[in-house]
Amino acid sequence: TEPRGSRRRSPSPGRLDVSSSRFDPLLALYSPRTPLPFPAAPCFNNLAEYESFQRGLRRPPGRRAAPARRGAPAGRASRRGPPAADPERIQRLRSLMVNAGPEQEGAEGGTARRRRRAPRNVLTRMPLHEGSPLGELHRCVRDGVRINVHIRTFKGLRGVCTGFLVAFDKFWNMALTDVDETYRKPVMGKAFYAEPQLSLTRLFDRLKLQESSGKKGADSKTVSEELALTNDSQTLSLRAGSGRGRAEEERERQKHLGRAGEKKTPGDKCEADVGSRTAHTEGDGAGGARARSQSRRRRRPKVDYQQVFTRHINQIFIRGENVLLVHLAH
Amino acid sequence: MEVSHSVKERTIAENSLVILLQGLCGRVTTVELRDESAAAGRVTSVDAFMNVRLAEVTFTDRQGAVSHLDELFVTGRNIRYVHIPDEVDIQATIEEQLQAIHRVRYFGGRDKGRREFLPAKH
Repeated sequence: TEPRGSRRRSPSPGRLDVSSSRFDPLLALYSPRTPLPFPAAPCFNNLAEYESFQRGLRRPPGRRAAPARRGAPAGRASRRGPPAADPERIQRLRSLMVNAGPEQEGAEGGTARRRRRAPRNVLTRMPLHEGSPLGELHRCVRDGVRINVHIRTFKGLRGVCTGFLVAFDKFWNMALTDVDETYRKPVMGKAFYAEPQLSLTRLFDRLKLQESSGKKGADSKTVSEELALTNDSQTLSLRAGSGRGRAEEERERQKHLGRAGEKKTPGDKCEADVGSRTAHTEGDGAGGARARSQSRRRRRPKVDYQQVFTRHINQIFIRGENVLLVHLAH
Repeated sequence: MEVSHSVKERTIAENSLVILLQGLCGRVTTVELRDESAAAGRVTSVDAFMNVRLAEVTFTDRQGAVSHLDELFVTGRNIRYVHIPDEVDIQATIEEQLQAIHRVRYFGGRDKGRREFLPAKH
């Protein structure tokens, strides 16, 4: 097809005509009067866009039971995948949709066409997870349920954040308000390998003990007895075998040191330290020996790496990767 | 209100809570890293992968050593917490950022210009 007017102006008409054999692409790019063979053709960024555009043309006739305006018969036949499941599935999906109403209007297609079917963003996606654990999270947002988020360190539990959930997303990133965090700094060095798994009970028992020891003015005997009691009463036992092996070793040494006397000896200092760090083990009959090691540790002015901290933060964002589990408080 | 120039980053941000962090640009906050260190400073930018740039930073090492840095870049994966300033309204910030993306996406009017997502023509 010869473009209008180009015969007069362009040096040789064939060079700007896409369908001609003398088409010159470079000239076409730079020429101000390159004629477009199909000026009204829609532009796509990639093949996927083109495909979804085509699908978008085919889908409405199927859903609205209107006569198909476009699409080859071959295409229509190929799209008839699972016919029985489709209406049911569409119903279920439709019940989940936020803007379900206006879309089904067939008469809308004329002048006042909606700009988008329905906005899909982080806020509209929050209610969509009904029936799944994330749906439970959405319930917490809606009903203002206080939740406990367990935070992880590289191995095991770091602590708990308790607060009200404002927003979340599919990665379990969460925005919380009125947060109380109870946590413990991770232990480093040799004790890292000997450390027994921290569980929530242990964490809070330790915290309670710390608080009570602070209030009573570090009465070591009573506190150490309490610690022995709580350790025996713990029921959770999730330790790895290797951790238990080393811990039991330390405890054995601890017993000997304990029986030798309550005096601090510089030589035994580091051993006792490591031993005291593993003192949060359970199921052990030697409560008495451990009690003596606890009292030794508490009297020492050194930094206690097992100390539990608490703090209050008004608003916090948690990256979902660090979330161990979410516990709903009733 | 700088929206990312990349369509991919915009959609990732739009569908996740990173957009809340992007709304904190220009505010002074504390970012706690997963290795127990903390960086307190002004948020310059946050991208869709939660990589954060901070300026005028007080960086507290995991051992507790404090240092001052003019600029700090934190990889998204290394972040554990981001403290949100008290004066920030979470819902409102998210909505503002979503509106900014909406403005960029529909820039130039409905029938003009090259569109990001083509509507299905009936």
